Amino acid sequence: MAKLVLAAGVPHPPRLVREMQDAPGQLRGEALFKQVAGYFEAAAPDVIIELDSDHFVNFFYANVPAFCVGIAEESEGPEEIWVPMPHYVVKGDVKMGKGLLGYGLKSNFDLAAAEELRLDHSMMVPLHFLNPNMEIPVIPLYVNGFAAPTPTARRTFSLGRMVRKFVEQWEGDQRVAILASGCFAMDVGGPLRGWTDDNWVGTVTDLLENGKYETLARRATAQRMADAGNNSTELLNWIGLTGAVGDTKPLFVENDGGSGYAVWELEGGRK
Amino acid sequence: MSVYLLNKILYLLDNDADFRKRIKEDPEGTVKSFPLTGDEIEALILGDVGTLYQMGVHTFFLNHLGRYEMFGVNRDNYLERIRSHMEYDPRFELGAMPLQYVPKES
Repeated sequence: MAKLVLAAGVPHPPRLVREMQDAPGQLRGEALFKQVAGYFEAAAPDVIIELDSDHFVNFFYANVPAFCVGIAEESEGPEEIWVPMPHYVVKGDVKMGKGLLGYGLKSNFDLAAAEELRLDHSMMVPLHFLNPNMEIPVIPLYVNGFAAPTPTARRTFSLGRMVRKFVEQWEGDQRVAILASGCFAMDVGGPLRGWTDDNWVGTVTDLLENGKYETLARRATAQRMADAGNNSTELLNWIGLTGAVGDTKPLFVENDGGSGYAVWELEGGRK
Repeated sequence: MSVYLLNKILYLLDNDADFRKRIKEDPEGTVKSFPLTGDEIEALILGDVGTLYQMGVHTFFLNHLGRYEMFGVNRDNYLERIRSHMEYDPRFELGAMPLQYVPKES
């Protein structure tokens, strides 16, 4: 049986890779990404399931699924020309991705599926740090975080629980990492750019640290997340992740101006 | 009202290199090739981010106007423009738009 060995949440600052070149060793984001990367190296996962919200690069209002599994052989990104970082080809895991799709549908999650993907910075920045040379296959699991109305936090939490059950019954023997991409609270391109809802960041941090995941899913209403800034519904990806970690508490939760970083080591988390 | 099309134009600006070339070469003509209302056309070609925001255009798409410096919008005037129809909020004093790294295209 496959096994979930590691869970981690990180943000995806689109200019971090470039900013690190300009100020090496000086940015907190660089240090935190390296800290999380150490756990990925130690866990040596065979596959990464990445929860992420597309930023209108793969999807547009013409068709926005609430939840979508990527089942492409391989995909490329980041596709935005304004993201100063290397362009990568990322391998998928079609067999396991289709397994997740089928298991999800049987479990009454009406998942969409995509056999061709355009990966944006929100998918790629975490992988740049945590998946060196893109050697580990990635199953993208998209959660609509930006084209309101979005799925509820409670439903997204249940989705994460389903993902855990799927992994544990999967016929392969893969070591699986689940990765959530997104901030706790931020405004990007909105009128409150530069402001951070420290109150909400504190609440999210506290609930994560104490393993109160269902409370977080209840409190993260669409309105509360929107009040925390136009980018803050990305928290859904974190909430999906907490559905998968069970009762395990995180090893640490840090935040850098509203951008959260956390790691959960699950049973057998070090190879 | 076709907020959908306004979003679409800005989506294409970011995601479709041929469209980006076309709208940069002929901004007004390209916008007018879409079935928008007069108010919508005017708001877009004037770079009136505040009105577009009130119309409901997604902030991620509005952000592309400053990023690609379309219709007179840039990093320095973006926030002032998007707030133009809003009551003053002390949070406005915080932050600024980040430096962008958009490569030059032929």
